[in-house]
Amino acid sequence: MDRVKRQLLRQAVADNLDTIRGLPPRSLRPTRRFAKLFLRRAPLVIIPLMLASFAFLSSTGVPSTRKAAAIAPPPAARHVEASIATSMAPMLMTDTLEPVSASAFPLSVRRVVLDAGHGGSDPGASSISNVSEKEITLDIQKRLGALLRQNGFEVIATRDNDRLIPLRERARLANGSHSDIFVSIHVNSIPHPDNHGVETYYLGPTNDPTLTKLAATENLTSGYALADLRKLLDGVYADVRRDESQRLASAVQLQLFSGLRGVDPGLENWGVKRAPFIVLVATEMPAILAEVGCLSNEREAEMLRSGTYRQQIAQALFHGIHAYASANDAPPKKGT
Amino acid sequence: MANDSEILPEILHVGIDLGTSRSAISASNGERFVVDSFVGWPADMVAKKVLKRDVLIGHEAVANRTMLDLHRPLERGLLKEGSDKDVEAVRELLKHLLRLVGVSSNGRTDASNVRAVVGVPAASLRTNKQYLRNSMKGIVDSLMIVSEPFAVAYGLNALLHTMIIDIGAGTTDFCVMKGRYPGEEDQRTLTVAGDSLDAQLLKLIEERYPQANVTVFMVREWKEKHSFVGEAPKRVLVTAPVKGVPTELDITNEMRAACETLVPPTVETMLDLLSRVEPEFQERVRNNIILSGGGGLIRNLSETLENALKQVGGGKVTHMPDPVFVGSDGGLALALDAPDSDWEKLTA
Repeated sequence: MDRVKRQLLRQAVADNLDTIRGLPPRSLRPTRRFAKLFLRRAPLVIIPLMLASFAFLSSTGVPSTRKAAAIAPPPAARHVEASIATSMAPMLMTDTLEPVSASAFPLSVRRVVLDAGHGGSDPGASSISNVSEKEITLDIQKRLGALLRQNGFEVIATRDNDRLIPLRERARLANGSHSDIFVSIHVNSIPHPDNHGVETYYLGPTNDPTLTKLAATENLTSGYALADLRKLLDGVYADVRRDESQRLASAVQLQLFSGLRGVDPGLENWGVKRAPFIVLVATEMPAILAEVGCLSNEREAEMLRSGTYRQQIAQALFHGIHAYASANDAPPKKGT
Repeated sequence: MANDSEILPEILHVGIDLGTSRSAISASNGERFVVDSFVGWPADMVAKKVLKRDVLIGHEAVANRTMLDLHRPLERGLLKEGSDKDVEAVRELLKHLLRLVGVSSNGRTDASNVRAVVGVPAASLRTNKQYLRNSMKGIVDSLMIVSEPFAVAYGLNALLHTMIIDIGAGTTDFCVMKGRYPGEEDQRTLTVAGDSLDAQLLKLIEERYPQANVTVFMVREWKEKHSFVGEAPKRVLVTAPVKGVPTELDITNEMRAACETLVPPTVETMLDLLSRVEPEFQERVRNNIILSGGGGLIRNLSETLENALKQVGGGKVTHMPDPVFVGSDGGLALALDAPDSDWEKLTA
């Protein structure tokens, strides 16, 4: 036991020293995340560049001819080199000048974490007719998951039944699954029952007291006060995730509003916003939180009871994710 | 007679459980104290004249709250940020705790001789700890901050294949001890705890007895005397003014309903954490679940948790009969075990 105690003490002291030095917890250390992001994305740039260089050299033939003359390889080797150059040159010329789809490489947006908000003893928002947010988000998540799988995405769900998963646990699951993006699905409830709309959040500071209150409500099961996040947030706002998350949020919000406005003409576009939700803070990949409807509006609450409308929401979310993924798959333009 | 300057300064080791509702201190000189985590300053000159004090702490502050600018500086087990008054309040609270165990600016033990271990909620962020560390500057010489359930486990020597469930006022903390310093994956913090239970109980009593004049302070006192889940051991009868007349109220059902709000999230989190233990050790952890904190004293709670464990093969939940000092004693054990070389690195 003494050996265990000594080890525990050493680790406790090391943890305190990390705090004194201002180091974030290991799961939030940016160096590792940047390295991971770089390792995952680098081949997307390096492989096409290598192919392009190879094609250029093959098509001009100058450097390779000079090299061949200078080194004067044996006839058998020269024959092999010549036959490779002859057989590859036309193919490389064609393939590198045409767009190379990143879908050829399993490196772009392929794995998506879907997070159905609330669950278990935490019902989230409720309508007058007693429909709870946790039921709606789970159903939409299942529908969206099916759509994504049908289209070749891998889907990880933070919950697939009615149970309470703490917010940090959701983030930990997402981080452990090495997924490419994180989409949290929620349903709003606002003090003005006549209004209803859709909005999508990504991680960022906000001075809006309403959003601060909303984030505090959604963060309730995390165990932290909102004020506790402020300093942590300063460190991650500059993260590369922020830009990616904003792009993902924009793509999803556009599809959510345009996809649902046709069904519900009264729907308002509340836009893309920034707020410090814990699931967005602690996840290591581009992450958004979509408020796909408003349970405080009686008419919309009725619509949200219907499977057809939930399917339409799932489809709108799918189109948004697909648009973001497709943009990510697009190769650099010629000459860049 | 020895010259005072020849006496070596006495190093005092302390463990502090800085709680939302109560804070406890255990010191290496054998002293132990617990105080309510309330700090109040006289609201005006009249109050100052009546109270004859600049600041009141603990029970005194609660008793004289009508004359005070009263602060409860911790929220969900964490130091509130953004209010200078709350920072000042927590400093006053810590200084008061240290004074109680004999630390004074003109005595043999002053702040420069104190090594403190402070317990915080399991899932506190680095920033919470940094903030606490900054707030304790000048109050102690060296400081180690650890998760509260870890301090409890250390104090009880329950370091291997054990789960600690520490139900405090602001948070309920879970920690599975696997013989290593618990990481994020071994710990959870819920905000369903004593305070949320008080709020629920107050709401239920107000609904049933709308004419009764009841405060959260009264409700807290009733809860501490009569809390239970499941079968009521006896009727819960309390006295509160109704239209100014002291009246006996039966709050048995309200007490049960409020206390039982703790059960589903606690069971859910306990089972979830258990399912993440390596399969070969799950049975050992199931049979070593320790319930600490004030919430551990809720009657029938450990039996209710044991019933829930039946769905995964059964287990044993033990509650600490005297949970008040379990955290601070654990902190003191850590403080005493840490070598001088470690303390030198942890200057506050």
